[in-house]
Amino acid sequence: MELLQLTIDGVSLGAAYALVALGFVLVLNATGAVNFAAGDLVMAGGFTAVALAEAFPLPGLALLPLVLLLMAALGLVFSLLAYFPLMRRPPTAVFISTIALGVILQNAANAIFGAAPRKAPALLGEHLYHLGGLSIGRQSLAIVAVAAALVLAQHLLFARTQLGRSLRATAQDRETAEALGIPTLRMIALTFMLAAALAGAAGLLLANRYFVEPTRGNELIVSAYMAVVIGGWGSLPGAVLAALLIALFQVIVSAYASYTTATALLYAVLLAALVLRPKGLFGEAIGRRV
Amino acid sequence: MRGWLSTGIRLPLIALAVALAAYPLLLGNAYSFRLATLAGVYALLAIGYQLIFGYAGALSLAQGCFFGIGAYVSAILASRLGWGFLLSFPLSLAAPVALAAVVALPALRLESHYLALATLGVAQVALLAAVNWQGLTGGANGIAGIPPIALFGARVPDGSSLMLVVWLLAAAGAFLAWHLMRGLYGRMFHLMRENDIAAAALGIDRARLRLAAFLLSALYAGAAGALYAHSEGVISPGALEFPVMVACLAMAVIGGSARVSGAILGAVLLVHLPEWLRVLERSYLIAYGAALLVVIIAAPWGLIGALERLRARLLPELPPEPPAPRLMTRRTRASAEAARLLEVEGLAIAFGGLKALDGITLSVRPGELLGLIGPNGSGKTTLVNVVSGLYRPSAGRIRFAGQDITETAAYRRARLGLARSFQSTSLVAEMTALDSVALGRAALEGTGLASALASGWRCAHLARARGHAMALLDGLGIAAFAARSCGELPHGIKRRVEIARALALEPRLLILDEPAAGLGASEAADLRGRLERLAQGGLTLLVIEHNMPFLMPLVERMICLDDGRLIAEGKPAEIRGHPRVIEAYLGRTARAGVRQ
Repeated sequence: MELLQLTIDGVSLGAAYALVALGFVLVLNATGAVNFAAGDLVMAGGFTAVALAEAFPLPGLALLPLVLLLMAALGLVFSLLAYFPLMRRPPTAVFISTIALGVILQNAANAIFGAAPRKAPALLGEHLYHLGGLSIGRQSLAIVAVAAALVLAQHLLFARTQLGRSLRATAQDRETAEALGIPTLRMIALTFMLAAALAGAAGLLLANRYFVEPTRGNELIVSAYMAVVIGGWGSLPGAVLAALLIALFQVIVSAYASYTTATALLYAVLLAALVLRPKGLFGEAIGRRV
Repeated sequence: MRGWLSTGIRLPLIALAVALAAYPLLLGNAYSFRLATLAGVYALLAIGYQLIFGYAGALSLAQGCFFGIGAYVSAILASRLGWGFLLSFPLSLAAPVALAAVVALPALRLESHYLALATLGVAQVALLAAVNWQGLTGGANGIAGIPPIALFGARVPDGSSLMLVVWLLAAAGAFLAWHLMRGLYGRMFHLMRENDIAAAALGIDRARLRLAAFLLSALYAGAAGALYAHSEGVISPGALEFPVMVACLAMAVIGGSARVSGAILGAVLLVHLPEWLRVLERSYLIAYGAALLVVIIAAPWGLIGALERLRARLLPELPPEPPAPRLMTRRTRASAEAARLLEVEGLAIAFGGLKALDGITLSVRPGELLGLIGPNGSGKTTLVNVVSGLYRPSAGRIRFAGQDITETAAYRRARLGLARSFQSTSLVAEMTALDSVALGRAALEGTGLASALASGWRCAHLARARGHAMALLDGLGIAAFAARSCGELPHGIKRRVEIARALALEPRLLILDEPAAGLGASEAADLRGRLERLAQGGLTLLVIEHNMPFLMPLVERMICLDDGRLIAEGKPAEIRGHPRVIEAYLGRTARAGVRQ
């Protein structure tokens, strides 16, 4: 029974992680670069929700569209600073520029909101449902529902719409997409906006139960990064699934041992996975034209 | 006469060093000494990071973690166990190095983005351990009462004495790193960073270079951490948090990556930045981030790089005197070499269903001149890539000089004497032609850390390699270009520099991938003459070429590939009229036309 309870908690945490990982992979595929500030964008989303809730005391779900919008705007600014000036340089340059922007975001949040943890409103109010021996928070269910809806929306956008096809074409082969008349730069900017919006949503979802603080992004980026590596570098469904698994692992092992043990074990699993299947090594080093 | 001082940017660097030393001394207060001490600590940290990030080009995110571990080891040993500095300091260096060695096993083989994650994970776990392992680390409160550094029974007092000790160690670290990287060893890193495949083709083992840089970076970080713990007197998990890593990265990038002086300048500037930007109070880290962003966008070469560029533009230097050409034969040509130097049997490889090579069998005799032709996409370059070890074949064997090398790593094949050139240029734009060719001697001069350290004050390895390189450049008629940067060389000269570099390996077999592509007729003829002369000296050549007027008179035997299969073999005259070759190049109808 306890395990079932933990599984429910893990899935709700994982649903939020999945949004972060999804945003990470979208940017990765479109630009070939790691967005190291993905976790800090989540933090920014959390604080956006906190600030909005102070101005408009509404449930989280009502604030969600506004958070998505504001974060998309931040995503655009983000791409203009961290990606477009460096697009012709090696991916490491973008990696570093996103580290720099992450530092700026963290310290800006610290200057505006202070270092103490803050709480955003629940999506639909706080309520506990009791089902047998289980107690399920309304917030947990709402997190899963909202995250699932956003993942589905992203999927439909990419799979069913002309815009989605343009975004995918840009991610797959920018030169060819360019030749076909797709405005690839606009598509990349849009991808950053989408990724930031998803991260912002995750921020809103997490900032109720788990609070938000300026340094929150540091752990989140590790989780998202791990999810993308375990799920297969560049794979969207892989990242979502791996994010769920990572959250489950963290929640369950933390309950029986400790958070430190869980993180250390997770990391050991990751290293082992990299040793046994170093896809990156063979995939890239050998695929290069010589 | 050119003085030592006026070379490069030595003069401004010395002026800068004097100014930086004068700053705390002139202020002369306890606070300025403290900041200068901290700057020395961070200089050590950033110099170490420069080795793995700047020189090896690997984005490690564990440098802050290694720093924290060094600090904690010192704190625990000195404060809890009462050990003396001379005992605790070496252990503070050893602990992060040991951790780095464990992480390196899986992580260093990985591409940069995986390495970043693997090192980030280590840092995260170390931080959690420091916070939660209260019995050992004091948890969130950390450890207080760390005694100052004591040497031979005498305590080093705070203030100017401590500053001096820290900066003496930083200077020793700077000298070691600079000396290590100023010779052939540093140039190996440069080539690996820009083009790891070309480095492997010269017998340079990328994993080994990266391992050495990673372990050294941990060593420097451990030293910095230990000095930090002793000079601050207290240590908290903050030493393991990400801002330390970010500060270190910012120092390396802003100061100028792949420059030891850049690390020092970056450290001094960024440690004093919060002091100069007091208005920002605690948000000075925003300025860190902004400075990092501006430099990475506008001046990725950093401040030292900018200084070097300024010097080159305002006061262009005369190129250094070319060294005297001196061939140094290292490899003894085996007298009873196998009847076949290279034997390829049933070689096959497929890329996602496309059979790029489909059962290739061929051999090359010692001293032979063999031509390899075939239409575009017929598998010529793929064959060279498989033979030189860049691709693993799905079937077949490769034997070279009597050894089965099917499973041998590319860099080991190069060391066995299998050299190759590349179709597209693989030279480092900023490196001189002379040093590019000298790198071909890397495998013969030794590619290890120990051999780099043993190279001596005058960098004997580099001097020998340059002498040899000069002779090769001379032999290919391009000695006049020795001091020029590869990036500014005309195409035809670049091709010859690459051939010279491959020759520097003293290869038993030299594979040239389209050496005459893009050359004019007279240039190609001149190149052919020089290759013929090399062949008379006993060199075995396998040449891929589309330029038939160049290839036909050069080689004794030709092989033609089509669709990954060997379709014809024979003397040039036989190949020229071979119906299957004509068909491959011109198509079936053309063949019918030729018959009529």
